Amino acid sequence: MKYFLRASALLLVAASTHVATSAPARAQDPAPAGAKKEDGKKDDAKVEDKWVAVVGGDIHTGTGEVLKGATILGKNGRIHAIGYDLDVPKDAKVHDVAGMRVYPGLVAISSQGLLGNAMAEFDDTIDPFSSRMVLGLAAGITTTGVGGSAVKLKRFSVDGAVVNERAYTVMSWSGRNPRTKSELREKFVEAARYIREQREWERKSKEQKDLPEPKKTGIDGGVLSVLRGETQAKFNASDRDDLLGIARLAQEFGFRPIIDGCQEGWTVADELGRAGARVVLTARDRRSKDEQQSASGGTSIENAAILHRSGCMVAVTPPTEGIDLGGLEGRDIRMLTIEAGFAVRGGLPEKAALESITIVPARMMGISHRVGSLEVGKDFDLLVTDGDLLHYSTYVQWAFVDGRMVYDKEKELYYAHIRPRPAAEKKLDAGETAESKPADESKPQGEEKDGEKKDDDAKKEGDEKKEGEKGGDGEKKEEKKDGEQQG
Amino acid sequence: MKTCTTIALAAALAAPALAGETLAIRVGRAQTVSHGVVEHAVILVEDGRIAIVGEDLPVERGIPVLDRPEWTVVPGFVNCYSRLGCDSEGGDDNSPDVKAIDELWPKSPAYKEVVKHGVTTLALYPAGNGVSGQSVAIRPLGGTVEEMVLKDGQYVKIVVRSDSPSKRRIADAFKKVEEYDDKVAKAREKFDKDKKGGSKKDEKADEKKSFDPAAQEGKSDDKKDEKKDDGFVPPQPDEKLRPWLEMRVGAKRGLVALSQASDWLHFQDALGKNEMAYDLRLVLQRESDLYYVFDKKTHELDVDGIGDKQLRCVVEPVLTVTAGTLRTRNLPHELHRSGGKVVFIPRNDSLGDHQAWRSNVGELVAAGMPADVALRAMTLEAAEVAGVADLVGSIEKGKHANLVFLTGAPFEASTKIAAVMLDGEFVHGEVNQ
Amino acid sequence: MGDERTTNERNAGARMRAGAAVACLALFAACRSSGAVAGGREASGPLELGPGDSGVAIHCAKALTLDDGDSIHAPATILVKNGKLAWVGPRRAAPAGYETLPADGLWASPGMVELHSHIHSGGFGDTNDKVLPVNGELRAMTALRPGNPLVRRAVAGGVTTLYGIPGSGTSMSGFGVIYKTKVDAAFEDAVLHRVGGLKVAQSYNPERGAGDLGRTRAGLAWILEDAADRAKALRAADAEDLSHEDLAKVMERELPVLIHCAGSDGFAAAARMWQEKYATRCVLSHGCFDAHAVAPWIVATGAPINAGPRVVDYMTTRDGAITGTAAKYLEAGAKDLSLNTDSPVLPQEELFLQGAMSARYGADDYQMLRGCTIAPARVFGLDHRLGSLEAGKDADIVLSTGSPLDPRSRVERVYIDGALQYDRARDGQWF
Repeated sequence: MKYFLRASALLLVAASTHVATSAPARAQDPAPAGAKKEDGKKDDAKVEDKWVAVVGGDIHTGTGEVLKGATILGKNGRIHAIGYDLDVPKDAKVHDVAGMRVYPGLVAISSQGLLGNAMAEFDDTIDPFSSRMVLGLAAGITTTGVGGSAVKLKRFSVDGAVVNERAYTVMSWSGRNPRTKSELREKFVEAARYIREQREWERKSKEQKDLPEPKKTGIDGGVLSVLRGETQAKFNASDRDDLLGIARLAQEFGFRPIIDGCQEGWTVADELGRAGARVVLTARDRRSKDEQQSASGGTSIENAAILHRSGCMVAVTPPTEGIDLGGLEGRDIRMLTIEAGFAVRGGLPEKAALESITIVPARMMGISHRVGSLEVGKDFDLLVTDGDLLHYSTYVQWAFVDGRMVYDKEKELYYAHIRPRPAAEKKLDAGETAESKPADESKPQGEEKDGEKKDDDAKKEGDEKKEGEKGGDGEKKEEKKDGEQQG
Repeated sequence: MKTCTTIALAAALAAPALAGETLAIRVGRAQTVSHGVVEHAVILVEDGRIAIVGEDLPVERGIPVLDRPEWTVVPGFVNCYSRLGCDSEGGDDNSPDVKAIDELWPKSPAYKEVVKHGVTTLALYPAGNGVSGQSVAIRPLGGTVEEMVLKDGQYVKIVVRSDSPSKRRIADAFKKVEEYDDKVAKAREKFDKDKKGGSKKDEKADEKKSFDPAAQEGKSDDKKDEKKDDGFVPPQPDEKLRPWLEMRVGAKRGLVALSQASDWLHFQDALGKNEMAYDLRLVLQRESDLYYVFDKKTHELDVDGIGDKQLRCVVEPVLTVTAGTLRTRNLPHELHRSGGKVVFIPRNDSLGDHQAWRSNVGELVAAGMPADVALRAMTLEAAEVAGVADLVGSIEKGKHANLVFLTGAPFEASTKIAAVMLDGEFVHGEVNQ
Repeated sequence: MGDERTTNERNAGARMRAGAAVACLALFAACRSSGAVAGGREASGPLELGPGDSGVAIHCAKALTLDDGDSIHAPATILVKNGKLAWVGPRRAAPAGYETLPADGLWASPGMVELHSHIHSGGFGDTNDKVLPVNGELRAMTALRPGNPLVRRAVAGGVTTLYGIPGSGTSMSGFGVIYKTKVDAAFEDAVLHRVGGLKVAQSYNPERGAGDLGRTRAGLAWILEDAADRAKALRAADAEDLSHEDLAKVMERELPVLIHCAGSDGFAAAARMWQEKYATRCVLSHGCFDAHAVAPWIVATGAPINAGPRVVDYMTTRDGAITGTAAKYLEAGAKDLSLNTDSPVLPQEELFLQGAMSARYGADDYQMLRGCTIAPARVFGLDHRLGSLEAGKDADIVLSTGSPLDPRSRVERVYIDGALQYDRARDGQWF
């Protein structure tokens, strides 16, 4: 943990310098002096640098750029360079992905079970061998929000998976329990008063040495840290009135709330936009309008698009936060990309849809300096896919976290039998360089503009399955997302 | 003379090798475990101990000979991880000072039953899900605690899960160890100062070794004498700390129970740079994922794998499956191949599991595990865990004459136990000369 | 596989997938015909409008006809005359009098058909009378609320025809109603067949626990066969018995029967009873869990399969693979494989997603589009009116922004019997 704090502090420097000098093709000389900044991780000079290169894919950086047939080079778990004609060090692990696409690892704003049975204190509880972690990676998720923390799906290691231990504090504001509203508002009033008094005291105490410091007793710690900008306030709210109340509270006290659910958000989008709300929603949520309510209400497939247009950050999450292998597909946490697709259906631009499952949730959790897009200095967390990420037939072929390949579709049990990779593409890790790789003519480089999948006639016959055995024990538990769709 | 009221010996029992008496046993083959296989073996049992083992040794006239060329003899089995005959319940705190010997109840009828299945040594551990306390190694026959106990306090059972409390227990314990080291160092400093002009040669004494359990227990006076005679007596550690100090210097061993792969990483993380002597208890659940941490290389772990460290691992003889599938795995065999030392225990503490123990291990042998490794896992390696490898676990000179006589190869399904000898006495089976 | 159908269909699938590019061209460049595709088909009657006739011409970027030749026209024109499709083919000028409805950049596809739906009453409830195991007298049409809120959303998902059926709580729960998802229609206007077919629940729900017969599979089977045999006997004796009248029609192949059967055992039992023994026009619905294990045998009996709502099986294969059931049925050679949502188990408007997910797990996506359109129409004997864009059929047309299976594709307009039911621009986006 300590180790990572130090590393991320250095990274901030690296990331910010990068922003200033950012150019479309960010080729950097791998060896020389300028590259040192992202090396915060290794203090010990004796430790050898670990290089990794993903070569020849169409790199979708997540910031809007696409670099066709480019190379992304990683050093010690961070992105060292992105571009063409990079000098790849000899000892780099080279992964040739010509004809494939490269995307930033997805960020699930909220999930359950991907870290094993861990619920909290993830440094001590993460299960980096959990099969659900593999399924999460297969779905492209490399970082997830869980129990208020932001944690990486880092396989085979219990070290450094937690990116932000306290990404947000959950607060309650609900018209169904009106007392929560007055109580919370009171807490904000008190905390704001305390901050004022504290500032006053700091100013005055320079002259008046014996001035007593204002008392902190009775001040809500969570609210205080929200007002100080140390953590984010997260609300679960979907009713129009509650959303308006939260927006007013946020404007009054000057913080930007995260609102999870936000089903009727589209009816008060302007207010939420003005309050700078960050919204977590399920594009497909269904809820009918309260007939007592005269204003418009209920859910709308356009929710994401409307909120996006009004200036809210929008992160998308599927109907179910856990992994559900019961057979009803298209709804669980593995379907982030499908849910983003439904947001597109409702009018969200494709770019914003991709961001709604990458950089936006990363920003909400305060980890966008590390993950959420492919930029020099950020973590080497990326996906190699066989097509447009948002297409329903696209599979993650490989996933990398911290520069390490942690998922290979062909080598894991779950999806290997579905449209197996042609043999030529399988020789990942063969240590060959980009030049030695024959051009793959089966992959048209053109027209992926509106997201059709590449034409693959790969035969789908996988290996014959063994005969099924009814209802064996030890099944994965099905997790249900609790309670947000009442009404 | 030890009495053994419940063992039904045949009327024609010809050669009871009673204490003070001598018996020569001639069998077709002896699998000594420590010294390989001896064909046409002769074992001389004297005063309940093995006096000599060899191929076709001439037997002195006058010594009774038991001639069983159709038999194979192996060392008595050692169940090093058992709660047989115990029924207390433990908590999940740090209580390394609890002792299993305190709940040993010699009259439990279970003990004499397992002897029939070749189990001649047991190590009992205290119940609990934290640091639950110290084991006791026993011979499963005897009317009193004294008659049963071989050694007390050999390993400390420690359960580690992927959670904060179990990691904290370990970290906290070593913090206390550190505090104790400081205390000793200060006491030493004060002692030396008070003793001004005295010998200074010990000033750089290794802090970690400042606690010598043998000295503390006053067992070896001579050692104490030769060490240093400046009269310094380190402060006494409290009873919860003492076992940790002992584990650090190897005077006791931890037996760390893990049930999934992540537990190993979290245990290593909790241990950090601290050192302690330990073996592992690996709980093999049906979909166990422990194979992930057998070696460092396969999955590029941050830390060495269990096999890399050549650790002794106590496991039940079961075939498992890869999670989510029906594909069987022989984890004990995989563990062996990766460098780990396999120690078998019965699948459970029931008498039926003791009876099935040898055939359960046989299933793993049939599935590819080498038979000699499997036998070692039930005997000598288990004795190492129990801390009594100097006394039992192999057929070698000076060890207890705990022998299991079999009608064939140990892991053949048709092989039966013909007789069991415990400390030189036949305690099971018909032995006619 | 190697049946004659494959090549054609694979080509169709490839063309459909390659479609986005074409759609792009259509969007940004001048429309052009895809050339290789066969021309449009003429209805029996003339295209010209007579007095009192109404005509509509839709010029769209692409038409997925789902006809026997798997024709895809891009760009395409669809002529609708008096609520029926009069012509579907490459872009052409409309005859005089046709109202022109531009649909630039949009794809046209047939309205989807769902054979396993419980939303006719507006949600769950009103679907199962559980007093008696055999309810040959009960008719789902009595519970139908045309244009209810769930139905309205179904339209916006491109679903235009539903077989609304009773639940699976009893062995023979009654007769389903076949109706169109018209948003503002009277009963008579929405309903295609008041008694559209029988609903049978083979096992996995109708088990009776009250101490009467039907606690076991054997009991359930006897209940079903007893009812069937009685119906046959009554028909043979020409006896009047209202309670068995419709059932007798099932036995005589005048009506189809949809059978709820889940795992492999129920799946096989249903095929033996309804296909092999009674030779009814049965459709085996669900086929979930381990049912794919008996797929080759089911296919050999000739009983059509209606798969869903579970589209994968992970639990029973126990080899770690997440198995797409539709892919398994196609692999076994299933013809006219159709898909279902079992709505409201899954939302009715997400029928297309069942196709998308099945495709994700290995099935061919064109086949999955067939499974939501022409295949269910065919196995229920509705293909003379529904399931494809062909001259002479009902003008049930879905116009969307891209592939009908892609969640990102927005349904812009839906016509049923030539009448505009849903227009996103006019109504706002319902889904």
